[in-house]
Amino acid sequence: MNTVRVPSPLRDYTAGVGKINAKGTTVSEILTDIERKHQGMRFRMIDEQDRIRPHIRIFINQREVQSLGEAVAPRDEIHLICALSGG
Amino acid sequence: MTLSAAERERYSRHLLLPEIGAAGQERLKAARVLVVGAGGLGSPASLYLAAAGVGTLGIVDHDRVDLSNLQRQLLFDTTSVGAGKAVSAQARLQALNNEINVVAHAVELRAANALELLGGYDCIVDGSDRLDTRYLVNDACVLLGRPLVSAAIHRFEGQAMTYLPGQGPCYRCLFPESAAGVAPNCAEAGVLGVLPGMMGALQATEAIKLLLNIGAPLVGRLMTYDALAMEWHEFRFRRREDCAVCGVAPTITTLADSAASCAADVPARWPRVNAGELRQLLGAAGSGPQAAPTIVDVREVHEFQAGHLDGSVNIPLGDLSRRVGELPTQAPVVFVCRSGRRSQTACELSARAGVQRVADLEGGLLAWAATVDSSIKVA
Repeated sequence: MNTVRVPSPLRDYTAGVGKINAKGTTVSEILTDIERKHQGMRFRMIDEQDRIRPHIRIFINQREVQSLGEAVAPRDEIHLICALSGG
Repeated sequence: MTLSAAERERYSRHLLLPEIGAAGQERLKAARVLVVGAGGLGSPASLYLAAAGVGTLGIVDHDRVDLSNLQRQLLFDTTSVGAGKAVSAQARLQALNNEINVVAHAVELRAANALELLGGYDCIVDGSDRLDTRYLVNDACVLLGRPLVSAAIHRFEGQAMTYLPGQGPCYRCLFPESAAGVAPNCAEAGVLGVLPGMMGALQATEAIKLLLNIGAPLVGRLMTYDALAMEWHEFRFRRREDCAVCGVAPTITTLADSAASCAADVPARWPRVNAGELRQLLGAAGSGPQAAPTIVDVREVHEFQAGHLDGSVNIPLGDLSRRVGELPTQAPVVFVCRSGRRSQTACELSARAGVQRVADLEGGLLAWAATVDSSIKVA
């Protein structure tokens, strides 16, 4: 099980929780598990062509994810980052 | 640029630091910094930059001070409400430090004036409240070759990064395209008043480091702050070769206003009903054969839960393209949001998906509360 950090704009899907758990050996599997638990959340990050939306970044620990097929190790922390607009 | 006796006393704590000293303080005195947006971020950033002795400090903001700003925008006080932000900020900053020159730019930053405005400064601090402005400022800085310290906030979360021309990625390398129209701003989502204090102070720190050429700037590093968890995180990101503005074959070579940034001052593209007309539509449907329009509230779930129109359904704007099949294609649909911004985007999205009779509530639920039913709670 991996820890996933949820950005503020997506916390409506997690009842306001900023840290959730998800399981998977790739980023894609992690996102599928997130969707299973928090319906609609994946679509806010990934488009119909399975691309990360341009205002969303995903990091494994400190490393930026380039492809949803990237491997996730058991203790990796996944960070979902969303462009913020407020000032 | 030598320091006067008064300046030596004022900046004495800086002069004691070997990294700054008299030579560094003179560099700050000779520097020109522009703060975009005199809001939550711009307030602490500009106050610290003024106090630090940045010789020329520009403030660009075309807005006026609202009572709801005072919860976080420390440049202003109760007597400032209604005054122009740029001029009011200028007075406050000049009172804080009469040794510097504060310049008020009471204009809206647009493609037509951005290069000239930003080109007059050595370093740009972006504290704007709109994604479109963030991209405009980023693109202008890349085209001009100016350093940029960017930050943004949302509820309890902040993020910051620095762009140095030729030395690292720009904001567009991190987030290639704007999600304007989908991402709620502070007025729509709420924000902890203290949060911009943290992030704005960080921006001032970065700007001072850049001007003095000391320390390690946030180049290629995204810093995020979660006030609830009281955690900072740092993420590394690289320049994209395909970046539209700083990549190897840029497609952005001149500035342009985005359609969304123009939305505030051009007529709405989709049909609108005002609050009174919507009340009549709903009332007539209740007493006759006319079909009631489907009212779709496109605000976020927490906003909907705080208060909404009876009978309305909640489909957050970010979910709309996935759930558009839930809408009738022939019967009338009226989208509502807080102020009428997101609902216009919803009209566009759903019309493209085949929903034929779309309209939205002009002025959003704020207008409904002001003219029809003041008991509705608009988050």
